[in-house]
Formats: sequence, C-alpha cells, structure tokens
Amino acid sequence: MRVLPQLFNSPKRVLGLSALLALALLHSSTALAQASAREILEKVEDAQRSTTDSAFNRIQLSSCQFGVRDNQITCTERARVKALESVGVNFGPENKDTRSVTVVLEPPAEKGIGMLSVTYDDSDLDNETWLYLSALGTVKRIASGNSDDDTEPASIFGSEFTTEDQDTGKLDEYALTLLEDGVEAGRDVWIIESIPNEERARKTRYARTVQYIDKERFVALRADLYDQHGREIKRLLASRVELINDVWVARSLTMMNLVSNRLSNMAILEINTGIDVPEDFLSQRTLTDVAFRETELQKLREQIN
Amino acid sequence: MSCSNVLRPSNLALCCALACAPATAQDALDNLDGLSFDNIGFDDAFFETEQDSTPAWLEPFSFRLSQQVFAQVNSHGTELADGSIYNKPAKTENSRFSLLTRYQNPFAAGWLLQASAQAKVYWPGDYEYRANDRNIDTEFRLNEFFVQRSSDDNSLKLGAQTVVWGENIGNSVLDVINTSEFRDLTIIDIEDARLNQWLMVWDHFDDNRQISSFVNLYPGFNPAPVRGSPFFFEPAFNLTDYRRDKALFEIGSQVRWSITGSDISIMAAYLYENQLHYSAPSSGVGDAESEASDYLLLGFSANRAIGKLLLNLDIAYSHDILVDALWSPILSASDPEVVTVPMKKLGATAGLEYAIDNDQNIILGVNAESLLNKNDRLGKDQTLLADVTTGNVLLRYSNSMRNGDAQLAVTIQSALDAASLLASVSLNYTLTDNLAVMSQIIATRADNDSALAVLDEDLRMGMTLTWSF
Repeated sequence: MRVLPQLFNSPKRVLGLSALLALALLHSSTALAQASAREILEKVEDAQRSTTDSAFNRIQLSSCQFGVRDNQITCTERARVKALESVGVNFGPENKDTRSVTVVLEPPAEKGIGMLSVTYDDSDLDNETWLYLSALGTVKRIASGNSDDDTEPASIFGSEFTTEDQDTGKLDEYALTLLEDGVEAGRDVWIIESIPNEERARKTRYARTVQYIDKERFVALRADLYDQHGREIKRLLASRVELINDVWVARSLTMMNLVSNRLSNMAILEINTGIDVPEDFLSQRTLTDVAFRETELQKLREQIN
Repeated sequence: MSCSNVLRPSNLALCCALACAPATAQDALDNLDGLSFDNIGFDDAFFETEQDSTPAWLEPFSFRLSQQVFAQVNSHGTELADGSIYNKPAKTENSRFSLLTRYQNPFAAGWLLQASAQAKVYWPGDYEYRANDRNIDTEFRLNEFFVQRSSDDNSLKLGAQTVVWGENIGNSVLDVINTSEFRDLTIIDIEDARLNQWLMVWDHFDDNRQISSFVNLYPGFNPAPVRGSPFFFEPAFNLTDYRRDKALFEIGSQVRWSITGSDISIMAAYLYENQLHYSAPSSGVGDAESEASDYLLLGFSANRAIGKLLLNLDIAYSHDILVDALWSPILSASDPEVVTVPMKKLGATAGLEYAIDNDQNIILGVNAESLLNKNDRLGKDQTLLADVTTGNVLLRYSNSMRNGDAQLAVTIQSALDAASLLASVSLNYTLTDNLAVMSQIIATRADNDSALAVLDEDLRMGMTLTWSF
C-alpha cells in the first residue's frame, strides 16, 4: 500500500539547498594579481557564508538526457523540471549552522511537499529534518544522519547535482595548484586543480577537479570533475553572471554527467540575501500552516521590493 | 511560441519539440571542447518575464488523473472455518478511472481556502460495475474542504480535514481521529482509505510548543464493506449507516514540542470508536442495529533520531471501549447472544526507520493492543469473541533508483499471531514530470478461522497510470 510519498526517501537531497547556491555566489573583488590557489578559494569560502545567510530563493532544477546534434549539445528528451522555494538562515557558533525551509512548487505531483532542515557544523550533532506530508497534513521527522562527511554523496532532488557538489570549505583536505591562466567563455580565468588527500579521497567521487575562476568577478565559470581513473565524469558550466546586491552571481548552472549523458540545469530565478527572516518562520508551523507561510513569505517579498 | 512559457507542462512539450529536436546521442562525448553548448534553451526559457497564460483562477488547482487495472490472478478454493469451500476464480477486480483535484488558495493575508475532491468511474470488470448490475458506476467524494485563519500565534481551521496523531504514520494506535475505508488491497490515492471529518481545529504556537485542539460535532464512522470488494463478506443482516437519535460530539487536544533529536506529544480526547458495533435486529429481520461507543483516550508519542536510525513510540490508553462477547447462559433455555462489554485497552506501536544509505531505507513497526480488565468486566457465562491481545507487524523496504525516477517498495504485513499475512512488491516509475506508472504484486494468506480467511492464497497483480497537471 502506498502510505508514504516516495519523493523524500533521501532527505539529504534537500539538505543545504541554500548552500548549493554557494556554487554560484562569489564576492565581487579586484583580482588578486599574485593570488595563490589557496587564497582564491579561501576568498570563495568567505563569500559563501556571507551570501547564503538570511536568504530567500526560488530555484528551478531541469534535467534531461543529452546528445549531440550539429556539433551542439542538446536535450534528447523533454526536460524534467522541479521548482523550489527556499528560505534559510545561519546561526550557532561562528554562524556555521543552518536552518532552512524548502517547499516544492513544481511538478504538480509534488507540489506542496515541504522540508524543514537544521544542519549543524559540529559533527557530534545529528542534522535534523522534518518532512511535511501534504496528503495527511502532518509533519514527520526523518532520520538523516549527521554531517555530510559520513554519508555518500546523494542526488539533490533527483538532479545531477549532488550533496558533494555543494560541499565546499574543506580546503585543508585538498592539494591545490594554480595550473595556469586561461580564457573561458571569453573571460580571463585562473585554472585551479584540486586533488583530495587520502582521507578525503575515501569520501569523494572526484579524484581531481579543475576549476576555471573568473579573474575579475571571482565566479567559477567551469569545473571539470574526474574519477580515480583520470576520466572526466562531470562538467559544470556557469552562465548568466550578474551583479546582485554587490555580489556576482552565476544564475544558471549546468552539470553534465558524461557517464550517463544526463544533465541538470539549476536556474536561480530569484535570489535575495541579507533579509530579515523572523525566527518563528523557520519552524514546523511553516510546513503545516499554509496561511501563515504565505503571509510571512509576502512580508519577505515586501522586504525585497 | 517563446520558450519562456516552458514552466507550463503543456508548453514544455512544444518547447522541447522545437529546442530539443531529435539528436543523436553519442556514446562517447570525449571531446566536449569541440562542441558548442547551447544551454539547452534553459537560460532564455526561465529568465524571461513573459507571463504565464494560465488563468489566475486556475492557479490554485492541481489535478491527478489515474487509470487502474487490478486482477486476482490465482484461481483456487479456500476452505473456511465451517468446512465450506470458497471458490475464487481469477478475475479482474479493479478497472477504474479516478480524478483527484486539489485546491489551495491563500486568498488574503492570514487566510486559506483548501479543498480536495475525487470523482471515479468504474468500468466493466470492476467489482463496483458488477455490484451495479453490470452498469458503469460513478462516485464523487469531497475529501477536504476547510477555511483557515492564522495570526501571529494562533490558527483556526473550520471544515472537513485530516488530523493525524502518532509518530508511526499509517500504523499507529493513536491515528484514530479520522475514519477509514479499506475497500481494496491497493489504493490509488491516500484519500481512498482515509475519510476526513468535519472539525474545528485550533492551533496555538508558543516558542517550541504547539497546542492543537479539535471539536467534532458530527462524528463519522467507518463505512461497511462495499459489495464485491476483497474485504466484503455477506452479512446476516443489512449493515446500514448509524441512525443518529442523539447529538454526538468529539473533542480532543494534543501538546507537541521538540527537543534536539526528538519530538514529544501528549494527548487526550473524548471520542467515538470509528467502527460501529452491529447486532441482530430485535425483530429478527431487516437492518442490523448499530451502536456507537464513546470512550476516553489518553496518549503519548515520541520519536528519537540517532544518526541514520529513527525510533518511534506511540502509546494509547482507551477507557470504556466496547468489546463483543458471547453470552451463553447455562441455566437458561435462551439462545446464546452477542453482547457488548465496556473495557479498558492499552495499545502501543513501536517502530524504527533505518536509512541504509541515501536511497534505501527500512521501516519496521509493531502494533499491539490488549484488554486490561477482562476478568473484572466479563459477566458469568460470557466469553470474548475476539482475542485479548491483537496487533500486527509491518516491515517495509524501499529503494529510490535512477535519480528517484524508480521507487521500489517491498512490504510485508502480518498479524501478530501470523494468522494472516500480506506481501507486496511495487515499482513506481516516473516517466515525465506529469506521467507515472506503478505496477504492483500483492500476495495474501490467512488461516481459515481468521477474519481474512477469504483472502487466503490470493495473488493480485495490477498497474496504475497517473497523469498529474
């Protein structure tokens, strides 16, 4: 008997959705003339914390099989689309814990399903997740384990983006090398190689990552992701880089899985940071009380406008 | 048409016909640098501001169309407790079309109007068709219909709605506020089995605590089995709806709060048992007489998350529930008769959920209820018709595959004494954002003196096609 919806068998698919946005958010800055790879990526990490706090976002994830036609990469099937709305704040020691609410807007079969997530930076604390079962109108706690380090990477909402792709800030666990300067999408870039150390290598699917960082805007325009056999298994491409609230944002990210020939595009339709999120909004009530949620969301929208 | 309307599924199809024209998938995309990447049209489609053509009044609606075909495929005979043989030829049981629509409209600040309804058509082959003298039958049901007003710390909901108590979803001794109807071993929507009640619900939110109270001025009861359904048995007398010769009401309250790693609830309610008690009509013919039994419920529920493990516990104490007993006076010439005796009952559901990994999990739940004061309450020459302790065990394994497109579920549910058992394997495959297909195999066995004896050695197979928009 179908009692529970199967959408959220994997709660980690929605954990840290706001953190995923960090892939697209980097501080505007003057280029570092003699920057090392470490300095560049540290700057990225600092930027992420400031840009994912008190955030209200609308995101669209679209996935399809892809192929090649007329020397162009293109979908070979109708894209699958998921639209999400997410509100999150950072809290706790050094502002490293995150509390967020994510609600599915599309597709129709999943509309209204919501998730409340609390992620703790302290690995001794288990992350907490509550799922809203819309057919029953009730909230259910989900066993989600603790930090991302202890579990294998998981697909985010069935897309080619995984929890590992959002997992930044562990620079000590990588050997970083500034390979060369280059040009990507018509922009001057630093090309940086990241190779995990032995401990990190056991947890990651990527044995080597090469990132192309826009020198002027500090946005990762491209990332090539390799497995332990040296084969490129994924490629991330960024576009629509825009300056929003003094932050350069790549509003369109496409992750291509070169093994399964499937790609996912994450379109950041709406991104708002630094807004005043009421403390009681990020609670179980927001999942169950639609009248309350919509009223509070309207207040958040008014802050933006 | 511009692809800016691509968010609408109907437009998406046309967009893909244009932008995603047949392409030759290459086995090796080894040299991506030699190819141009056109962003698959995503950029333009999603960021342009062209307005959606969907009328505003249609926005709050969502629809789900389903066609289900299910059959009992094992021709066999089952020996019942009285020694008779119940023959079961292989035949189609379900062939039905369902429309489920939901409406959710936050029409003003702090206000919400929500409704959901089902319409069904029973085609030739369906047992409802056969029960309707082999005519196509239809059914309409309003599931939800409520208005909600929320303010800073309070929320008031008035209308037909669902209230779920307990942490073990779908298998809890505390999940007794709504009535239910199990016509089939397979259901299309959860609304097929759960019937909403007309309630006034008041929620008060205070820091980390929620106090939720309800009043029901028109309690409902589980409907009698539908003729021809797998659970149908031929009753000795007509089972009719409850005749309300007095005003009934239910009232209850739950306090729920969370601490790190746990949610805890305590609850109390004055309720009517969802299942009516039927007895033979005093005249000996006609409709059975039904009795509604009121009782007091005290409950406690809690969960505890430990890494990938989630423990759930629900406890229910019921005071003055009615239990059927057979009265066989030894010193009287009168025939034995069924009487109802008020008793106390203690029930508990213990469950665990374990996330094997990001895609697989296991749920185990044990549900048991026991009568506490049997010896005190049973009179001389009275014996219980049912067991003192009843319950069931539920084991479920689920696996999410192909980025969540394929959902495999294996379920085994058994009575505590193993007198009956159900095993089910289902695969739900999402074909597109709108289209999904589920196939399911269900096998059942039961002892011949079990209430589910007519399901012994049944094997059912079927498929449900669902279109959502």
